[in-house]
Amino acid sequence: MTTATGPGADDAPIQAEGLVRTFGSGELAVRAVDGVDLRVGAGEVFGFLGPNGAGKSTTVRMLTTLLRPTAGTARVAGYDVVSEADQVRRSIGVALQDAAIDPLMTGIELLRLQAVLYGVERSQQKRRAGELLERVGLSAAGDRRVGTYSGGMRRRLDLALSLIHEPSVLFLDEPTTGLDPMSRMTLWEEIQRLNDDGTTVLLTTQYLEEADQLADRIAIIDGGRIVREGDPAALKAEVGAPTLFIDVDATRTDEARAVLAAFGDPRPTAEGTLGVGLTAGAAEVSAVIRALDEAGIAVERLELSEPSLNDVFAEATGYRLEGAETGGAATDEP
Amino acid sequence: MSTDVTSHRDDPAMTITIARSERRQSLWAQTAAMSSRSITAFLRQPALVVPSLVFPLFFAALGTSSFSQAIDLPGFPPVQSFLDFALAGTIIQGVLFGSITGATALATDIDNGFFDRLLTTPTSRSSILIGRLAGAMAFGGVQTIIFIAVLLPFGLRIQSGVLGAAVMVLGGVLTALAVGALLSIMALRTGSPEAVQGSFPLLFVLLFFSSAFFPRQTMTGVYRRLADANPISYLVEAFRDLTIEALSLGAVVRLMVISGLAALVTVTMALRALNRRLVKP
Repeated sequence: MTTATGPGADDAPIQAEGLVRTFGSGELAVRAVDGVDLRVGAGEVFGFLGPNGAGKSTTVRMLTTLLRPTAGTARVAGYDVVSEADQVRRSIGVALQDAAIDPLMTGIELLRLQAVLYGVERSQQKRRAGELLERVGLSAAGDRRVGTYSGGMRRRLDLALSLIHEPSVLFLDEPTTGLDPMSRMTLWEEIQRLNDDGTTVLLTTQYLEEADQLADRIAIIDGGRIVREGDPAALKAEVGAPTLFIDVDATRTDEARAVLAAFGDPRPTAEGTLGVGLTAGAAEVSAVIRALDEAGIAVERLELSEPSLNDVFAEATGYRLEGAETGGAATDEP
Repeated sequence: MSTDVTSHRDDPAMTITIARSERRQSLWAQTAAMSSRSITAFLRQPALVVPSLVFPLFFAALGTSSFSQAIDLPGFPPVQSFLDFALAGTIIQGVLFGSITGATALATDIDNGFFDRLLTTPTSRSSILIGRLAGAMAFGGVQTIIFIAVLLPFGLRIQSGVLGAAVMVLGGVLTALAVGALLSIMALRTGSPEAVQGSFPLLFVLLFFSSAFFPRQTMTGVYRRLADANPISYLVEAFRDLTIEALSLGAVVRLMVISGLAALVTVTMALRALNRRLVKP
């Protein structure tokens, strides 16, 4: 399950085998990451999904040399994250959670500091800083202190900072958490553009929609282990049947449920709505309506929902994510 | 990528030489850039900087007006005015409090995640730490100059002259590094700006149980024993000797060795704390 290979498996820019990270010791030890294998091919966008505390960030911290693994090995851009940490750092760009930026400095100052830290030649620092500001739409705000920036502006500057040395591998830890839809869209476009230019991207997210938009392949992590991995379309197909949501007269709900049972398994729904997984696919919809009609039950509302990553996630982990896309009226057991 | 040495890959020996010299050059550039950032941060937070300039001067003024007769006590070092005696304590006090600002900035970096961003860059760990401490170092030097300059018109005499004063400024820089690194250990261990700021009362007590405000020769009992055991006493006295005695090689070496050694020990400890943080945060 966890050994699925991506394109160009052998020289894959991100490879991890049996990655384990334990916090604390003895009785209180917590295995935050519990044997993760990863392989992200060159030019891929890899989405790393999971709820808070599932081990996403801990994995990213190990891959970006911020944390030494308790066990297992990882190679990023061809270098070992422990013994060749310096080479790894030269090759990767990192934007961590919460857009960590010093509020006392201006955008330009931070970009130039970053340029020096990556050894960008003096003559090129200014040009590069200007280019990146323009790229993320912050040219006008470059001379302002970061403390005055909005959340979206900080994230964009954060992204620009991680690009100063033109890294071949980019790690983005929850790049759009807490952003408004417009800012999120802008960042998505930028990430897409970077990927088009050949950058390999590993992004963690709590938003299934984000992974669906951007990722070529995704992995779902839960309790420190990868529970699903593959390309989003295939994973959705694995979950199988589309869900049909139907509202009927409240007094006839039970009868309707009995009719629907002939077409597939019931699916969790919101109060007052019935849901059924159509075993034979979307073509079955008209048959369902006819059956209800024959039983004399009037359909008040009807909605067909193709399997979403939310369904994949629910199936893999047993629960649904906050802020997931609204797959029909489907909601969750908490 | 500009630092990419593979462009010289046809000659491996040359590659290595260039890589080394580039590494050394960029190490300097990196430390300088980090330093300029921390100095800028100092300048942009006047509210944090001003108290550590004003309070020590206030204490010096208070001491001088209250204890001007104390200089006649038996055992009191030979000085012309209490101010001559007070200067060393003023400098140490200023540097202690100024270093809190620097270490708090480090803890804030850790707290808000900027520190992690720095650690993902190919910068040497010591550059990151020293750079962060550079603001405190520069401020320690500036504080020493300001204290001397302000107190001179009020009757301060520096017996060791301009050269001695210059050595004291250097001593201020090294002391700031030593104290800044010490507080950085706390910052690295807790990652909490509040914890670092909470060390203020502790430092104040440490300062009181030293010879910063009174000479050890006039103390008795437990107070004397505490002051004898307190390393701050020796640091203060090294500054004091340069103020109240004519310039001597012994006094210069004493200040440099004491403050330099303190800095060496605390910086080493801080670097270890940094490494431990990487393995076990």
